[in-house]
Order: sequence, then structure tokens, then C-alpha cells
Amino acid sequence: MLNKLAFAGIKSRLKDYVVLFFGLIMSSAIFYMFESLATNKAFIKANAQQITGANFIFLFGAILLTIITLVYVFYANSFLMSMRRHDYGLFIMLGAKQAKIGQLILLETMTIGTIASVIGVLVGWGLTASVGPFLMSRMIGTKLQHFSAFYLPAVVTTIVLYLVLFLIAGVINRFALTKTAVLQLLKGDSQPNKPVLKPVSQFLQVVVGAGLLMVGYYAMSHIEKFALSTIPIGLVTVVLGTYFLFNAIFVWLILLFKRSDWANHGLRNFTLSQLSFRIHNYTKILSVVSILIALSLGAITVGIGMQRQVTALSTASSAYTMAIKNPSRQTNQLINKLTLDTKVTYQQKEANKVIYYRADQLKKSPLQFTGFKSPLNAKQKNRLASPTYRSLTSAQLKGHPEQLMELQPNAPQKSIRLVSAASFNKLPVRTQQLTLFRVKNLQADKAGLKRIVASMGNPSVETIPGSYSTFVLSTALFGGLEFMGFFLGIAFLAMLASCLMFKILSGAATDKKRYEMLNKIGARPSQLRGSIAREILVLFVLPAIVGVVHVMFGLQMFRVLMLNPYYQIWLPFTIFFVLYMIYYIITVQLYEHIVLPKLTIDK
Amino acid sequence: MTDTPVVSVRDLHKTYGKANEKQYEALKGISFDVTKDEFVGIMGASGSGKTTLLNILATLDEPTSGEVEINQQVLTNLKGNQIADFRAKQVGFIFQDFNLLENLTNYENIALPLSLQNIGRKKAQPEVQRVAEQLNIEGILEKYPTEISGGQKQRVAAARALVSHPAILFGDEPTGALDSNSARDLLEMLVTINHERQVPILLVTHDPFSASYCQRILFIKDGKIGQEIRRGTQTRQQFYQAILDTLGTFD
Repeated sequence: MLNKLAFAGIKSRLKDYVVLFFGLIMSSAIFYMFESLATNKAFIKANAQQITGANFIFLFGAILLTIITLVYVFYANSFLMSMRRHDYGLFIMLGAKQAKIGQLILLETMTIGTIASVIGVLVGWGLTASVGPFLMSRMIGTKLQHFSAFYLPAVVTTIVLYLVLFLIAGVINRFALTKTAVLQLLKGDSQPNKPVLKPVSQFLQVVVGAGLLMVGYYAMSHIEKFALSTIPIGLVTVVLGTYFLFNAIFVWLILLFKRSDWANHGLRNFTLSQLSFRIHNYTKILSVVSILIALSLGAITVGIGMQRQVTALSTASSAYTMAIKNPSRQTNQLINKLTLDTKVTYQQKEANKVIYYRADQLKKSPLQFTGFKSPLNAKQKNRLASPTYRSLTSAQLKGHPEQLMELQPNAPQKSIRLVSAASFNKLPVRTQQLTLFRVKNLQADKAGLKRIVASMGNPSVETIPGSYSTFVLSTALFGGLEFMGFFLGIAFLAMLASCLMFKILSGAATDKKRYEMLNKIGARPSQLRGSIAREILVLFVLPAIVGVVHVMFGLQMFRVLMLNPYYQIWLPFTIFFVLYMIYYIITVQLYEHIVLPKLTIDK
Repeated sequence: MTDTPVVSVRDLHKTYGKANEKQYEALKGISFDVTKDEFVGIMGASGSGKTTLLNILATLDEPTSGEVEINQQVLTNLKGNQIADFRAKQVGFIFQDFNLLENLTNYENIALPLSLQNIGRKKAQPEVQRVAEQLNIEGILEKYPTEISGGQKQRVAAARALVSHPAILFGDEPTGALDSNSARDLLEMLVTINHERQVPILLVTHDPFSASYCQRILFIKDGKIGQEIRRGTQTRQQFYQAILDTLGTFD
């Protein structure tokens, strides 16, 4: 009978449950997507094994994702409980035994968890199969090897993890609910936290918080010194520092606003009180969210940066995109179709391990070279995408024959000699052509370059001198990592925004009464909506600001991996904030749906 | 008693349920007036329609047909924001469960209707102070609603209802959650306000004791006004007895 009642209760609040399910399904789908990549041994082996620390990064990502999933499931669960408290209170009042209620809670939590994680895995499978390859081909340009959307160990991991998390959550719910007094269940907890200023303790918190943050930032910007321990040091200090700062400054800020004349307008005072009312509940999640924002922003920035880096590094790796010996007519035509920066053809003759060039040709169109000294200063780093090329005089070329030799396909242990046109012609060997060209943009001419390789009979790219081979090889090498950064970033964002969303929505049930009261004493619907939008905006924006500060310092860690982690940083930030704002709008809509009274009130 | 009525209700009907569903008629044609200095009670059993009536008067609900005029404004003509503004400026409301916002101090609760009308702190402060003095709650203004007694809460609620000088004060079982002493205090206070401020009060109750403080009582039964009695020159005790007698025969 009680089971029937419990599920009738679910039916009556179907809309709220749809929200809950949607969030849980998305979360488990994302988790599956990640697991199917991160735990797929064949895939990792094929794509990232050569990179030192790749396994570490995958593992690190998986742990972070598990932690955030844990946080997420708990917030989703508290949302669930906020919906069910009253019903359970009613059942107990009607005479249901505590043990029976406990069973019900466990049953309900587990049912929801099972359904959500199974559907989530299916959705994740679908997403991995459809979005995965698309994303990867957009980003890397090549197909990832050994990639399959369905990976059994990932399915098992996802479902087991979710069931365990829900079991824990169910047990905690059961414990919390059966220990709460019936009356409190029926009435909800409405004891306010009075915001109080404790100057000494707050000052101490500011000092400790700022100190910890400074230590964390210092460690992150001196990663050479701390190596891998930077990550744990950074995480601990930044998390604690953020928490203390939020705790101390937020309360103080709200009280400051409340005392100002500005607050006495419309519902501003109410909005501020709402914020201070829940501040103690929120400092924890706000600090967690700000850290997660930093992590996901960092991941996206590094992911996008890596791709740009691959192009920039490859472009700078050689003055020429390709060096082709005796190109066919078809190859030549294809070369001329590219957006060329420069193209030159030298005549050469090979005899007795010596390659002869015509000095007049090399004088007329001198060989170019590029290169950059390490470390580069900030200005040089920004110019990296368009490196400068200098010409070699004949004298310089004699001093550095390797500049030409490295453009000579399959010519180990040979030397070069520059001779006059007359002596060149006298040499009794066949004349060969060496064609060198450079495209303006490797990324843009990717397809054309591929066709050229095909026209040469598809030799492996390593045998073609020039920046193109570097480009292809490093794209394949960094491809997995790059994808990972981008994907992790989006996954974190989805989870953290959902956490914040459920935390806010959990409070909606108790807020409902307040908005009804405000409606009764004559607040305009537009004022109510404005108050809700502003309150939630503060809760979204605060961690975002702190998160951005974190990430600006955190990117310092990638100086060792990347030339300039801050290059064109607006792009990842824009992507991130657009997605974040979408979550904000959804949260406001859902919240309004829950708390705003309908036009007519039936009593 | 000769001036134009503050509240004028004409042939009010309210039907719940859609046309194709099972319908329930809560109000079946109610008409009455309330003048400027009146203290009117509305009595009736549970389900008689008194709360529906009050909700319509307070613009929280809309009638199916009929007309309500408060302070020369026809309620059915009001739209959107006008309804909210009307509620904020013209109507004061005291509820059984106080409806105070527990995240605001008592002062902030009382000042809320003024702040909704964007009245600045400097102008609002003396208004709040004045109404707080009248209701004898100056001492608890900086406390939160959870820190004071039920009787005090209801005074704060009354102060909030009065602070914007409403045209009428509605009470929905305001003594319902109070002990007898607090209830008596509140009712005496309402009588004083009614006299001093010349603000009419409409009290919905099923408690004969509360009703005995009124000058006139309308008995509602099954969505209609069944009977009306006036206190006239009777003492409160006599009137109380009259109410009990009426209730006894009302079935």
C-alpha cells in the first residue's frame, strides 16, 4: 500500500521528476562518454601512449570526474528529498513504521538511480557514436584509431558507480529522514541563519584564505620547481582558500549592501536577505563550483590551445611545407592550387655521395630558414603563428649545409657542393629537380596537402621533409590529449552547472511559501521574477569570477607544455560562458516554475 | 453611515472546475456593502465559501460573474501589474499563519509594502515607526519573526498591513493561531485601529468570540448570505450570546 502511495506521489510531481531524471541521465551519459574513452585501452594505446604522462592525465581526469559525479549525485538527491519530505512526514503521521519508511526511501532512491544510469548509458552510447567522431574529426582532422562507442568495461563502471553512489545517498537519506521529527518533516526547516559579523574570525579567515591562495598560485606559476606535486598542492590550497574567502567576504558584502539606501527599492532587500539566509549553505558549493569552473575552463583552454599549438609549432618547424624530389606534372599542378607563400625549384645532380647545386640558382632565389630560440619572450610567443623566414647567402649555406640537407629526401651521409652553371652542366649525371614550397596556413590547406601526398603514391609522411610531416605526426600525437581537454572541460561544465542548479532548486520548495506571501502583499509578478533572476545570477556569477581568477593563475602550469597558454584566450572563455549562461537561464526557468504562484490560488 | 461604500459586492458567483468537468459552485450570488468606518464579520462553516469570498475581494482569485468595487475601483477591470499594485496600496491583509518572511527582520517585513512602491528609506522610516508605536512593537523591530511570540507576530503582520494606508483591512482568521489572551489583545487593537484610522475591517472567522468584536456579521451558508445581525447598542457579551444563538439556529 505504501509503495503505491509513494509512487502516486512521484506521479503527482512528474514535472519535477523529469528535471531530476534529465539531469541524472545527462550526468551518467557524460560519465559513460568519458569512461568509454579514458578506459579504452586499445584507444589510449593507439592515440596517446607515446606521450609521457598521458595515462596520468586520463587517470586524473577520471578521478576528478568521479568526484564531481559524487557531488552531483548528492545535490540531485537533496533535490529529490526536498520534494519528498512532506510526503514521508505524512506517511509517518498516518502511522507508517520508521523501518518501512526507510525501506521506501531506499527503494525509491535506488529505482531512480537504476533507471537514470541505464538510460544514461544508452544515451551516452548514442552520443559517443554520433557526436564523438564528429567532434574528433572537427578538432583533429584525422580519425581516431580503435575507437568504438560501445565499450563494456565502461558500461559496467558507469552503472556500478551510479548504483553505489545512489546506495550511499539512499542510506544517508534514510538515516536523515528517520532521525528528523515528524513535525519538522511536515513543516520543512525554516529556521533562518541570522547573518552575523564576527570581525575577528572573519578577518582571520580573510588572512588565511588569501595566504592559502597565494601559496597555491605561487606553486602553480612555479611548476618547474614543484613538478607533479603542483597539482595536489594547488588543489588543496586553492579549495580551502576559496572557501575561507567566500565565507568571510560574502556575508560582509551582503550586510554592507543591505545597509545602503539602494536596498530599499522594490524587492532588493528581500533578494539580499534570501542570499544571506542561505549563505552558510552555499559557501561550500560556491567554492567547489568556482574550482570546477577553473578546472573546466582550464581544460577547454588547454584543449583548444593545443590544437593551435600544433599548427604553430609545425609551421615554425621548417621553412618549407614540403620538399619534393622530381615532382610529377600532376603533383606540380596540385602544388600550384594551394595558397602558396613561396615556391622554388632547384636543379641538382648526385654523384659519389655528393649532391651538386647551381650556385646561380641558389643566389637568385636563396634558400630560406626559420627557427626560434628558446625561451621566447611573450611577444615572440604571440607571433608564433606567423614566424619570420630569413634567406641564406651562399657563404652561410656553406657553413650550414644541413639547412639544405634536411630538405633532401633519403640522402643520408651525403654532402653538398655549389658549382657554377657551366661545371654543373658538365657533370655526367642526370639532372634532378628539388621543389620546395610553403603554404600560408597548414590547417587551411590540409586537404590539398593530403592530395599532393596521394599524387606521390602515398609515401609515409615521415619520408617527406618539411613542416607537413611534423604537422601530421604531432596532430596524431596530441590529438587524443586535445580532445580530452575539450571533452573534460565540457563534461565538468555540465556537471558543475547541474550541481549548482540542483542546489538552488532544492531550496525552491521552501521558498515557494515566501513568494506566495510576497504575491499576497502586492509584489508585481515582474518584481518577483526580477528578484529570482538576480538572486540566482549572483549565485552563478560569484563562482564564475573566482573561477576565472583561478584559471588565469592555473594556466601558468601549462607554460612547460605550451608556448603561450594565454594565446587568444577569449575563445574558450566565450564557449564556456555561453554554455554557462544557458544553464543559468534553465535554472531560472525551473525555479520560477516551482516557486511562482499561479494567477489564481485555489484554497 | 451615509457615505459611499468602500467595498461593494454585487451578485458574486464563483464556480470551480471546467465546463466539461464536474463543477462546484462555491459562491451563488453574494451582495453586500462595507462603509468607511465599519468592522464587519463574515461567519460560516468550513466549505461555506467564506475563504473564496475573501480571496476574490483581495484579488487573489477571480469571480466567475458579478462585480466587486473597492475604493471606487472595479476589481474585474484590473489587469496584470494593476492587480499587484492594487493589492500593495489598497488592501491590507492579516492571515491566520502570519505570512511573515522569516528571512527579513520585523522592521524589514513591515517596510516591505513601502519598498515595493519604491518609497525610499528616509520616507519609509517614520511611517514604520508610527505604525509600530501604534501597535506597541517598537521594541522588537530588529528581531526576526522566529524570535518573537505568536501574538507579536500577528501585530507585526498587522503593522505590515497598515503601513501603506490601505483602503480596507482584511483578516482571514487572524486569531486562529493565537492563545486567548493574545487573541483578545489583537481584536481590541483592531477595534482601536478601526476607530482611530477610520479604516474598515472585514474579518472572516468561525470563532464567535472573535466575531463578537464586529459591528455587523454576515452568515454565509452554501455560498449565499443566509442571515445578517447587527450589534447596535448591545454590549459585547450580549452580542456574543446573540451570535451563539444565531449559530445554533443557523443550520
